Amino acid sequence: MAGKIRQLVDVIIAKRAKGNPVVAQAVKAKLVLKGIRSDNYSEGTPDDPAVIKKLEILAKELGVTL
Amino acid sequence: MKTAYSTGKTIREVSRDLQGQLGGIHLRAILFFASSTFDPDALGLEIGNAFDGAAVFGCTTAGEIVSGKMLKRSVVAMAFETEVIDRIKLCVIEDLHNKYAIDNAFATFEEYFGESMLDMDPGKYVGIILADGLSKVEEKLMDKIGDLTNVWFVGGSAGDDLQFKTTYVFADGNAYSNSAVLALIKPKVGFDIIKTQSFSSLGKTLRATKVDEFEREVIEFDGKPAIVAYADAIGSSVKDAPGHFMSQPVGLMVDDEPYVRSPQQVKDGGMVFYCNVKEGTELSVLQSTDIVEDTRKAIESRQREIGSIGGIINFHCILRTLELENKGQTEAYGKIFADIPTIGFSTYGEQCVGHMNQTSAMLVFKGAD
Repeated sequence: MAGKIRQLVDVIIAKRAKGNPVVAQAVKAKLVLKGIRSDNYSEGTPDDPAVIKKLEILAKELGVTL
Repeated sequence: MKTAYSTGKTIREVSRDLQGQLGGIHLRAILFFASSTFDPDALGLEIGNAFDGAAVFGCTTAGEIVSGKMLKRSVVAMAFETEVIDRIKLCVIEDLHNKYAIDNAFATFEEYFGESMLDMDPGKYVGIILADGLSKVEEKLMDKIGDLTNVWFVGGSAGDDLQFKTTYVFADGNAYSNSAVLALIKPKVGFDIIKTQSFSSLGKTLRATKVDEFEREVIEFDGKPAIVAYADAIGSSVKDAPGHFMSQPVGLMVDDEPYVRSPQQVKDGGMVFYCNVKEGTELSVLQSTDIVEDTRKAIESRQREIGSIGGIINFHCILRTLELENKGQTEAYGKIFADIPTIGFSTYGEQCVGHMNQTSAMLVFKGAD
């Protein structure tokens, strides 16, 4: 399976930014500082359970329900 | 906004200087940055009493900045009138290692402003953070702040004139070490953030494969002793590599913009940094460019975007100050801000989204167009 990581990243950014592009950019930067470089993941990226688990934890920290 | 500074020798002299320059306005808040040469408890109390009724906060420095000048052994201050700030709340974090420190501070802000920090509009509120510059916890503070709110918190790590012994933050008449002060502000005027650093990417990367995050140490880059891999990347010998630390640090790239991580020293083949690097992180090797020119462009560009600038608070890395001093450019740097009410200080680290080095993080208030 592929694409799950990209989907989770997009959901986290969208839910925190609520349509504000400046906040979206800041959330993207926050993810990089937390160790997730969103640009590295596409719809074709294989579903890596370790990265998915990390994103689930980050979403919880950021108050985002996936 | 109005700025003032004093190079007075005594605290009483400093206080009188500042009062004289900032008198006659309806104050909401005073932000001050002070050389560590003054007794912190006495200074905090004196400035707090001098501006009783206003929210008074600040920190010690490794050099001060005021409109047009870079100073040493001085105190600089910015007065915010009631026409500039609608409401402000200060919160001191005295136990920086308490994992709930930010939650507790934010609960105070939520009670005061009657709004959830997560729901606050980042276009209507802005935060300032002043943190102990020797605590090594700024990353954790900024990470937690970013988890809990979209409000921008910009700030700097307090200094002690390169003594590296004790730094202080001030709030409402008191001085605190091993602490941070957060200010949440609801301005009446528009505001913006400038994050500027003077580096270009050399197109080479290093991956941190073994780190000690707590000690801010990278033990290995790409499976080799960190200093060996770094020296290879910059084309230097291991022996000469530390001489390149200031001009060739590394950066965590977000799009094309680096969050600079500055090497401090070599330790048993590893490299200790001024901020932490997570294991697995890919860092770009950077090359320094012209601080004065880059800063001038950043200010002019923002002026074109937002119109008149009413005031700037400049959190300016001490390593940038040292580079400006080495190149004889402190006067030219100060002059960039000659026509803009500005205060700032030479920091032990800068905060904007995260914690970083060799950067100027500036809070910019709009002026009357």
